Amino acid sequence: MKGAVTAASVLPNSRLTAADEHVGLSEALAGADVNRPECIAHPETTEEVVELLRWASADGVGVLPLCSARHVSLASAAQEGRSWIGVATDRLTGIEIYEAADLTVTAGAGTPMSTVDSALRENRQWAPFDPPELLTRSLGGLASDSAHGPLWMGYGELRNHILGMTVVTGDGRPLRLGGRVVKNVAGFDLLKPMTGSRGSLAVITSVTLRAFPEPAEDRVLTLSAATAEELFDAALHVGTAPVLPVSCVVTDASRPADSAAAGASLVVRLHGARTTVDADQRTLETHIGSKFDVITPEQRSALLGRVGDRGAHSPVCLEASARPSRLGALWRALNALDPIAFGIDSYAGLARVGLSEATPTTVSALTEAVEELGGAVRVVRAPTADLRRLGSRPSADEAGIIDRLRDAFDPEGVLWPARQ
Amino acid sequence: MSLPLAPDLVRALEGVVGESNVITDPNRLLSYESDGLTAYRVSPRAVVLPASTDEVARVVELLHEAGIEVVPRGAGTGLSGGALPTADGVVVGTARMNRVLSIDPEDRLATVQPGVINARLTQATEPYGLYYAPDPSSQSTCTLGGNVAENSGGPHCLKYGVTSRYVSGLTVVLEGGQVVKFGGAARIAASGLDLTGLFVGSEGCFGIATEIEVRLLPIAAGVRTLLGIFDTMEAAGHAVTDIIGSGLMPAAVEIIDKATIEAVEASVFAAGYPTGVGAALVIEFDGTEEGLDEDADRAERCCLDAGAREVRRATSEEERLGLWRGRKKAFGAMGRIAPDLLVQDATVPRTRLPEVLARITAIGEEYNLKIANVFHAGDGNLHPNILFDRNDADELERVERASREIMKLCVSVGGTITGEHGVGVDKRAYMDLVHNEVELDMLRRTRRVFDGRGLFNPGKVVPEAEPLASESAGIESAIVEVAT
Repeated sequence: MKGAVTAASVLPNSRLTAADEHVGLSEALAGADVNRPECIAHPETTEEVVELLRWASADGVGVLPLCSARHVSLASAAQEGRSWIGVATDRLTGIEIYEAADLTVTAGAGTPMSTVDSALRENRQWAPFDPPELLTRSLGGLASDSAHGPLWMGYGELRNHILGMTVVTGDGRPLRLGGRVVKNVAGFDLLKPMTGSRGSLAVITSVTLRAFPEPAEDRVLTLSAATAEELFDAALHVGTAPVLPVSCVVTDASRPADSAAAGASLVVRLHGARTTVDADQRTLETHIGSKFDVITPEQRSALLGRVGDRGAHSPVCLEASARPSRLGALWRALNALDPIAFGIDSYAGLARVGLSEATPTTVSALTEAVEELGGAVRVVRAPTADLRRLGSRPSADEAGIIDRLRDAFDPEGVLWPARQ
Repeated sequence: MSLPLAPDLVRALEGVVGESNVITDPNRLLSYESDGLTAYRVSPRAVVLPASTDEVARVVELLHEAGIEVVPRGAGTGLSGGALPTADGVVVGTARMNRVLSIDPEDRLATVQPGVINARLTQATEPYGLYYAPDPSSQSTCTLGGNVAENSGGPHCLKYGVTSRYVSGLTVVLEGGQVVKFGGAARIAASGLDLTGLFVGSEGCFGIATEIEVRLLPIAAGVRTLLGIFDTMEAAGHAVTDIIGSGLMPAAVEIIDKATIEAVEASVFAAGYPTGVGAALVIEFDGTEEGLDEDADRAERCCLDAGAREVRRATSEEERLGLWRGRKKAFGAMGRIAPDLLVQDATVPRTRLPEVLARITAIGEEYNLKIANVFHAGDGNLHPNILFDRNDADELERVERASREIMKLCVSVGGTITGEHGVGVDKRAYMDLVHNEVELDMLRRTRRVFDGRGLFNPGKVVPEAEPLASESAGIESAIVEVAT
């Protein structure tokens, strides 16, 4: 219990908890053949994170940054015989600055996205990204995961919405990255690699987001067909239309969750003034030669929730990407795995499937097939460590640069080096 | 005075790119002494103009083997001295790498060489109904490679975002000539860190982008352009806040101040703006034809409620270009007023614009300098333009002091020292206003990740670890350096 004992010299005992009290981490570790953390530390300020990481770095104690930990992939995370602790951001919470007129909000990394969303909605603003389980996740967790969803089509990736961060490097150096203005970077843009670094570069302690005015009209359209493949042509046509929807997904989510009926839908979302959205819908319908069904406001929330989840709760969840023009081939490779849930963002060329089971052999074969298309595969969720290790890796040259970048942020290798 | 390159090295470089593409003649090197920030001038030892990734790699390998610094250069339109040569270095220009390699309409992607002119890419994709969104004011001359280096913006990035949003993949040449591919639209599911995003905006300090994959957008069906005329800059600033706060999403919101309007109207670029007014606001909406009039009506109402004297609306493309002329030709028109112009670049929270502009005016008065403002008001990106004569040493010193005051002001209200022009050499002395030593050290470490020997574009972006006071002379020191 070296970690627990000495962490107490940095934080009061009241802010150290047993590892098994952290529900998300316990679930993530269940069944994994890794040594357990000695404690979970709950710092309340960036300065306390600095002290913790300085101590960990000096003592050679590993640190796993934790938000909800529901999305922790612990593949090969534990190092043989190494003592480690979790550093939770659940007390780094609260909105620090919300400048509604400037459309920016800064909040602690542990702040639930639901809190941020509520504050923004009071001013008819919102943060336009829609990864699975958005509202139950923390702001820092979303940034750390570079979580995105179909709204990427209209609003860009999450990295485009993050204006600034405060982070603490592996050896305890606090850094302010970016700022509170839209054009925010003076010097190299360290926000970009930090977004999506999954705790491998630093512990994120606060995040500044760009907010957007709520659209006057948020219309969801669907087009049904018996199979997903029938909808890819329509989706690609939407992608070449002279209007830009904010999202365009081929999914099975439009059928009721308890229905066994086969079927797939193209789900298209349009934002703007009502007259603009009316015109955009007509333009799209003319362009693809089919009429959409308009989803009612009552149906919309449930449908978008399922579109967003895209297999996130399945025992195995895989993400695969290819150029949009190769979606048909990508889908054939994925469909061979008999998915129980799927959503394919046709603009990004990004597919996400839920599977009831998978083996290393099938995931490796899928990865090989998708890489032959020029694409890539990521294991989002899997029950075993050997599965979580699979998927596309950076090239050797990229990996070399990533390793050097990690060394620059975390020279002692305190933060989990095997988590990417 | 730059030392000539060793004859063996010149021959080796010529062997890679051809004799006519290695420039060592001092007279021809004059064209490469500076970029758009002409106050800084340094002659390089040579200029090399490769035509492909392979040639760039072999050129960089030869130069780095000899321990020679490499300064990447696009069209040389940058305004922060990012392409300023070093006296010990060789400029590697991308002018010959000017091919659009592929356009994939179905995927809305294009791949280009770095020397492709920004506007030419859109010309090439227009037949497919697509365009490339970032539109820096210099888009008819600046290159995509330069845009990647500076993470360029432009008037329409208010709605569409800056270069980093559109670059999905890069082929780059790094230290020693190593060729590496980053990202790619097809590989967004791959694990790893966002090296593409990190490379964009690195100002030539990490390496040279030799192939750039970019995302394209559908050309908007319609456009509406308004010109609001205001008695005061403050009123124009309030109109901007009201427009954005009302939920409208203009493609561009640009402010031109009194001094600039008068300069434009007295020049050959006269746009028909009324003189004697406090500010003009150019507002543009684009998108689906239906709905644009409604958006324009709402923006007009915001302007009138904020006290606009009048609001004009273009009814033809010719009129639209006329309304934009006062904004687009502002820098050219200022040439009438003073021989030199320092185009500053900083960003502040949008709601602080009126206050900041008033204080910039006061700084101009305090230092007895004429400052004209043209800027991207929608995202708070200021361009205070300081007019001066470089031959007046006293005035030059006041320009330097006033610049620092303006930067301090912008940082003090929550802004930063550059919006879209980059740090280059010009802003390096101001980096301590936004970053502490720990953060500057992190930037240095990041640079070494890509360029361990510091041979790519040295002296740019990050101040050395030495005390910053040694760099505070800014423009004046650069001119002294040239003189010696």
